[in-house]
Amino acid sequence: MTVLLDVHDMTRQFGGLVAVNHVSLHVNEGEIFGLIGPNGAGKTTLFNLMTGLTPPTSGKLSHRGQVITGLAPHAIARRGIARTFQNVRLFGNQTALQNVLIAQHIHGKSGMLASVLGTKRARSEAREAHERAMDLLKLTGLTYHQDSEARNLAYGDQRRLELARALALRPNLLLLDEPAAGLNPAEKRSLSDFIRRIRQEFALTILLIEHHVPLVMGLCDRVAVLNFGELIALGNPADVQHDPAVIEAYLGA
Amino acid sequence: MDIGLTFQQLLNGLSIGCVYAIFALGYTLIFSILRIINFAHASVFTLGAYFTYFLIGGKFGFNGLLSNGQLPFALPFLIALVVGAVLAGLVSMAIEQLAFKPLRNRGADPLLTLVSSLGVAIVVVNVIQYLVGAEIYAFPSSVLSGLPAAVNFGNADRAIPIRTIQIVILAVSVVIMIGLTLLVERTRTGKALKAIAEDATVAGLLGINADRLIMATFFLSGFVGGLAGTLVGLSVSIAGPYFGIAFGLKGLAVIVLGGLGSIPGSILGGLLIGLAEAFVPSSAIAIKEAVPFAILFLVLIVRPQGLMGRSLVQKV
Repeated sequence: MTVLLDVHDMTRQFGGLVAVNHVSLHVNEGEIFGLIGPNGAGKTTLFNLMTGLTPPTSGKLSHRGQVITGLAPHAIARRGIARTFQNVRLFGNQTALQNVLIAQHIHGKSGMLASVLGTKRARSEAREAHERAMDLLKLTGLTYHQDSEARNLAYGDQRRLELARALALRPNLLLLDEPAAGLNPAEKRSLSDFIRRIRQEFALTILLIEHHVPLVMGLCDRVAVLNFGELIALGNPADVQHDPAVIEAYLGA
Repeated sequence: MDIGLTFQQLLNGLSIGCVYAIFALGYTLIFSILRIINFAHASVFTLGAYFTYFLIGGKFGFNGLLSNGQLPFALPFLIALVVGAVLAGLVSMAIEQLAFKPLRNRGADPLLTLVSSLGVAIVVVNVIQYLVGAEIYAFPSSVLSGLPAAVNFGNADRAIPIRTIQIVILAVSVVIMIGLTLLVERTRTGKALKAIAEDATVAGLLGINADRLIMATFFLSGFVGGLAGTLVGLSVSIAGPYFGIAFGLKGLAVIVLGGLGSIPGSILGGLLIGLAEAFVPSSAIAIKEAVPFAILFLVLIVRPQGLMGRSLVQKV
């Protein structure tokens, strides 16, 4: 098994608060890895460290064996790490289609002049980008909303649009921050199938933060549990579920 | 009504209106991304004019550090125009690096940035004065050598002469306006700029290098500002280091009239104000400078968001 992302002894302090405390874990290529823990355990901070939004206080982050600690978010994104947010962050004034198109920015090749002049190559590139975006909208069931401004979409649709946009980046690692939050039970059930499907179809590795325990247990190959910034358990879902430290963290001593 | 005179006024209005428009586009480009007004833009405009004057072999007066300074060579006007604008663009990039970026990275209030840019404007004006003095410089009439001073749009019986300079200004400005519009609407860069404008963090997570594109935007803004400076200098003269500041106020009227952050709005606003000024009768020339602002007040009463601006109501 190849290690895709390696978190080595990472710490992040905010003033006196240690949001992430000496956490080490690695994510293998192709796995669905769950990150769980009570509110304020440091899960989202860990995502922010992985995507370069927050620089670590100490520690090392590697992707495909290369150290990426300290890289800017755009440089990390260009290595194929995409994410979604707990509270969806779309370009609200742009249409669903434009939201997906913009995520293909880094894959565009035609220069400024070619685009302005509309050369044959620039046009065929634009057409391909459009087709890919439409495929992703179809995959996420948003075909009929392609021209709606993102802020006018229903909540569930916004979540799926954010996923489509993340996929448009053509990532190798997808970080999902509470993908099931706010979804109804039927949507939650289909989300599991959807995540498995995109892992297959796009050869993805998926790291997800989730509170909905049945979803995590049914979906993830391995699970890590954070509590007060510390890693308290790591392993397959069944073992982790019965770990006394985990039970204590969730239920309180 | 004298058709010939009206035609002349129309063309003069369009020509100065175009300069207003491209100058204002410099404000708009930066505003649409960073939501700040870059007061230093007016000083970059001034610099552009001085750069071009120097590059065509113009000689400075005897008041500043560079007294009697003159290049050993002289570039043809159109080349000097472009090189001068490029230099203005580079100055604009330096301003971003020194005055804007450090504040932005610390999350400073936009008002602080605004005051900081005003400070930069004053520093630049003073540096110009220190270097070349406060006198007025005029581009020599031979600058468009090979071209007649005026083109007759009438016939042999009734001449309707239009200054060649006005036609050059019109042509250069139209090219810039079309170019910028296409750049923003058609290219990947333009789309990335829109994404940065809406949410720079998310744009970064999609692989877009916001700092680099903001830098490019400052270059473009300085480039069109410098170009406008030269064109106005050519049309009237370079009226000293403060030359851009009064023009800068008019530019602000243009962007507010057109709608903050709107490229077509800036173009429309510039043309409207240019035309309105051109049609001020000579008997009322004393209030000519007040006309743009009078129009601005009237429009804002009806449309507070400006002619092409997004409605203010939807901002929560």
